[in-house]
Amino acid sequence: MQRIKRLKWTVLLVVLALVIVGCGDGDAEEEPAATTAAAPATTAAPEPGDQEEPAPEPGDQEEPAPETTTTTAAPAPPPEPVTVRAAVTGDEGTLTPYTYISGFPGWNLLMLQYDSLMQLDAAGVPQPWLASSVNVSDDLTEWSVTLVEGVTFHDGEPLTSDDVAFSVEFYTTNPEASRFARDFRGVADVVVHDDYNVTFVLESANPGFDVVALADAPIIPRHIWESVELPSEHQFAGGTNIGSGPYMLTEYVDSQSYRFAANPNYFRGAPAVDELVVIVFADDAGAQAAIRTGEVDVIFERIPPEQIDLLDAQDPLDVILGPEFATQMINYDASIRPFDDVAVRQAINLAMDRQDFVDTVYLGAATVGSPGWIHPGHSVYNPGIATDVYDPAAANALLEGAGYADTDGDGVREFDGQPMSFEIITNASDSLRLRIAELTVEMLAAIGIETEVLPVDTGVWENAVWPGFDVNNGRNYQIAMWGWSPPVQADPLRLPWLVHSSLDRGFLNLTGYGNAEMDELSEALAVEPDPAERKAILGRMQEIIAEDLPFVLLLYPDGAYVYDSSVYADWEFIAGQGIVSKLSLLPPSARP
Amino acid sequence: MTASGSERRAARRMRRRSRLPTILGVAGLVIVGALVFTAVLAPWLAPYDPTDRIARPFLPPSAEHLLGTNDVGHDLLSEIIYGSRVSLLVGLVAATVALLIGTSVGVVAGYYPKRLGSTLMRGVDVILILPFLPLLIVLAAYLGRSLLNTILVIGLLIWAEPARIIRSQVLSLRSREYVLAARSMGAPDRWTILRHIVPRTALLATGSFVRAVSGAILLEAALSFLGLGDPIQKSWGSTLYWAQTRGAFLTPAWKWWVLPPGLLIMLASLGFALIAFSLEERINPRL
Repeated sequence: MQRIKRLKWTVLLVVLALVIVGCGDGDAEEEPAATTAAAPATTAAPEPGDQEEPAPEPGDQEEPAPETTTTTAAPAPPPEPVTVRAAVTGDEGTLTPYTYISGFPGWNLLMLQYDSLMQLDAAGVPQPWLASSVNVSDDLTEWSVTLVEGVTFHDGEPLTSDDVAFSVEFYTTNPEASRFARDFRGVADVVVHDDYNVTFVLESANPGFDVVALADAPIIPRHIWESVELPSEHQFAGGTNIGSGPYMLTEYVDSQSYRFAANPNYFRGAPAVDELVVIVFADDAGAQAAIRTGEVDVIFERIPPEQIDLLDAQDPLDVILGPEFATQMINYDASIRPFDDVAVRQAINLAMDRQDFVDTVYLGAATVGSPGWIHPGHSVYNPGIATDVYDPAAANALLEGAGYADTDGDGVREFDGQPMSFEIITNASDSLRLRIAELTVEMLAAIGIETEVLPVDTGVWENAVWPGFDVNNGRNYQIAMWGWSPPVQADPLRLPWLVHSSLDRGFLNLTGYGNAEMDELSEALAVEPDPAERKAILGRMQEIIAEDLPFVLLLYPDGAYVYDSSVYADWEFIAGQGIVSKLSLLPPSARP
Repeated sequence: MTASGSERRAARRMRRRSRLPTILGVAGLVIVGALVFTAVLAPWLAPYDPTDRIARPFLPPSAEHLLGTNDVGHDLLSEIIYGSRVSLLVGLVAATVALLIGTSVGVVAGYYPKRLGSTLMRGVDVILILPFLPLLIVLAAYLGRSLLNTILVIGLLIWAEPARIIRSQVLSLRSREYVLAARSMGAPDRWTILRHIVPRTALLATGSFVRAVSGAILLEAALSFLGLGDPIQKSWGSTLYWAQTRGAFLTPAWKWWVLPPGLLIMLASLGFALIAFSLEERINPRL
């Protein structure tokens, strides 16, 4: 009895000791954790300089990788059918022009089955595709298109100008809204000359018609769609997704998977990938786990910066990076004190260590922002705009010279008798943007501007910066972190939207900015027929932005995609669009 | 022989019963004491300022950074040490809020059990019936992210249980002879409540309070982890939030980024729960 009692006491004491050791916790437990975990992590440590993955060699595809279990890595000359399994994170509907769901990657998957008249090349410049040539009149209102002859839809019917005219009419007159109705808004008439020649007559000059419409909208067959009244109810059922594209949707399991078969008769040549299986995952984490274990061969979503090196380090996975035209920027209300003073705006611009944002928050997977708004990889970038403008000493001198002194010695400058102390509003759901906001606070503190991050819900944030999505409602913030989606920058002709002082033209002018020369340039841009001249105007606009700073552009996140190079490695990164496109799946000889 | 044997066994069992809670209580006190010590002395214990970016992001543990660095290069160990302040503060203040509301409602409802009391208790029932975590998330999302809101939301949702416990105590107290005597001699209700009722609920309230702290710490961590707290504020929950959003759960970093704050949340909650358990045994040994 006595022994049992003692035993019980011993057990109790041991438990107690464990609890006490446990609460000495942190310090006691770290050492073993440090030694065991250091080894794998060293290889995974981010090395920002290392991330520009060289474009994969076509030959890579042939190398059999030891770890992969796929059926495709055969080195033998009669090529076995290549099957690529791709992960997406969300169902995309039945992938007709009216039932696909997201702009990315839904539209991209849609466009595997259909073709547009033009197609963006790797640099993001539209090239003739279904069209053999595109000519525009000097006043930019008449776009004449000659079609490639002999193109057929999946069911063997020929694709002619009649289908082009029908597509425009269907998109613009069908009561159900679609992205493509917007594309062709402003088309007054479509004149069919013969089977292969067609002219778009626009109501007013539109120099960007090739990017926003010709390279965006799928051409649909008249013989399938003319009997369709409610396209959203016209779901995939074997024969509905008839396009002219390189792939045909052969199987769709709601919220689970898609199966695409190659179109062997594709007019640019048979695709390099014979079968594409798209598997729907619930979230990023699931998709990343799947590519690690070899369940999928590519992820059709961007991967977050912290995963790039980890995934790249694993054989046979490779990561491809390229420019995307999304932005991270600082907005301020330029119509109120003190942000109406260009010296303050310039000082904020000079105080931003853009390289630090790229290295720290994006681990190198971003491009340093140009103060002139346009991405340095963009075809209209003005190379005279410097991106390495970080100079806190100059910023301090600028503020000092403009009369913003710290008179009471608390480390915060004053304006109009008040401290320069502001709130930075940001949406808490974007964790990288939240980190950028935190770093911004540090950098502004170095020039005597005190700020505090106010993380709020997306709706609250949007309503403060862009109430009701209408700039006529004014603004309700001092400083805000902001970012535009890629299309706003991919098409540089949209720049006037951001900076024109008249609010019906500058309907994205969220900072209340105005500059007479900028307004003139914006108007000249809209009617300039000569591309070289347009580029010159855009170059001057970038100079004004970099000097006058309607907003402070910090960086452009890069797109990063992971794929299994032992299965298929010929992915093509389209600037601003990423790898999910028909170009990636066609043999290199068929790409523009 | 048999009689005295079973008597002795019974006596021993009694003693063991009375010792176990004491031991657990001491263990709880030691845990809580260590954590409070850490929180109070954070500026001296932490090797770095947790808001300073002192090294490369995503560093694994090393001699300079025992738990490595987070996604922007803050020292994780320092972050966790400072995080104890927010977690304990939210736990204690939210539990105080809950206790103030709970005691007031409990005492009033117990002392006036008829109309007022039953109305109040229906309110308590409603709070108890409502699905707890969803309500907490909705409230937190609606009120916005700040430390004060986190405290209020938690405090406003966990007072119902203390209210019930205290009401039942008050119900029995109000029919005790000395209370009846006081009232029959014309003592006003306010005086009776303050003089005879409230002091006798104090012990019970202390037990509820400590248990509420334990719950509030867990809730704060849950809210912050979901990103519904203030993600800029350094707490154990927000450390876990950043670990989750920056993918540490999928990489080897979970060992130094996820485990330590997780264990600390568990320990803090356990410490207070142990104290509460031992207090309850003392206050009401028949439990």
